[in-house]
Amino acid sequence: MECNRCDEEAVMHAAYSGAHLCESHFRESVERRVRRRVRRDDLVPGDASPEDPQTWVIGLSGGKDSVVLTKILHDTFAEDPRIELVGLTIHEGIEGYRDESLAACVDLTDDLGIRHEVVSYEEEFGVRMDDVVEDDPENMAACAYCGVFRRDLLSRYAEAFDADLLLTGHNLDDEAQTALMNFLEGDVAQIAKHFDASLGPLSEREKQEEFVPRAKPLRDVPEKEVALYAHLADLPAHITECPHSSEAYRGEIQQLLYDLEENHPGTRHSILSGYEELAGIVADQYAGDDERDDLQECVECGATTTRERCRKCALLESIHAV
Amino acid sequence: MRVTVDVKGEGTHEVDLEAPTYADLLAEVELSPHEVSVLVDGRPVPEDQPVETDHVTVLRLIKGG
Repeated sequence: MECNRCDEEAVMHAAYSGAHLCESHFRESVERRVRRRVRRDDLVPGDASPEDPQTWVIGLSGGKDSVVLTKILHDTFAEDPRIELVGLTIHEGIEGYRDESLAACVDLTDDLGIRHEVVSYEEEFGVRMDDVVEDDPENMAACAYCGVFRRDLLSRYAEAFDADLLLTGHNLDDEAQTALMNFLEGDVAQIAKHFDASLGPLSEREKQEEFVPRAKPLRDVPEKEVALYAHLADLPAHITECPHSSEAYRGEIQQLLYDLEENHPGTRHSILSGYEELAGIVADQYAGDDERDDLQECVECGATTTRERCRKCALLESIHAV
Repeated sequence: MRVTVDVKGEGTHEVDLEAPTYADLLAEVELSPHEVSVLVDGRPVPEDQPVETDHVTVLRLIKGG
């Protein structure tokens, strides 16, 4: 089967668009979608200049998604003195797993010549996920602890590096799953927050002075295509799954989406595009009417939170109590 | 035709189908084309195409980072 755009052999078929693409046209198509999303989300402000460059911190885990995002952003902005990239890797204390993916991050950032920073749960919080999973004082899934700690470190270090933007490698499958989960849970306030936190164009978001704005420019690209891009570009992505991974509900939604996509190609795209439009409307509706007025500093660590003591500090106390 | 489907890290399956596509092979081993890549001699192939080999390698997506 030939590529639709040249006479090379196709390496992929996208049922949602009908396209068959060769390696170079496929890679070009992924890169174009990321750049288009950077433009549509207004990520580069009009007043960015070489004298006053923007600092973009990328949450770089070493998995395929963050590696592909880092590579494409680097290729896009390497010659642009208005944007400086920093890779931020978080070591959760998962024996073997994170050590290997950290090596992938070091290889990639060395190769691209971008700044790379590593922080660990052990140094920051005195905990390792392997031990947290073992003790499990709150009787929760591993990801429930880990997500709280990771978000805390990503935002704290983005702030410390004076970042203008915190970028993560969420792909189309990730975001369509989250959209569907929020919808099925009936959580309209969460949908509004999702828009202001990471989905909306920067210029349309309700201002959140307390947080470095987040962005997900890989979210138009299906997970499978991200993996294929990493494979074809021979990127140093780490290829084992987290041994503690256990998001049961997300797994159920993922399977549902695979089945829907099979019979109705384009379902993930239409879920996310409709969801983003709705999220923009409900974000307007909820503007000024949410918990933002209640934001305060955590009495223990000073992080911005809606409680007296933030979730991370509460979890750490129960872990250290074991 | 008889095709060996080698799902990396999980094991091989022998699949016997009349003029299958790569997607048909995946359906036989209960995998969605959205969670794997199919390689023939190390090269990815479009899943909607007719199978022209007796051995394929299937790589599963790795979730998360």
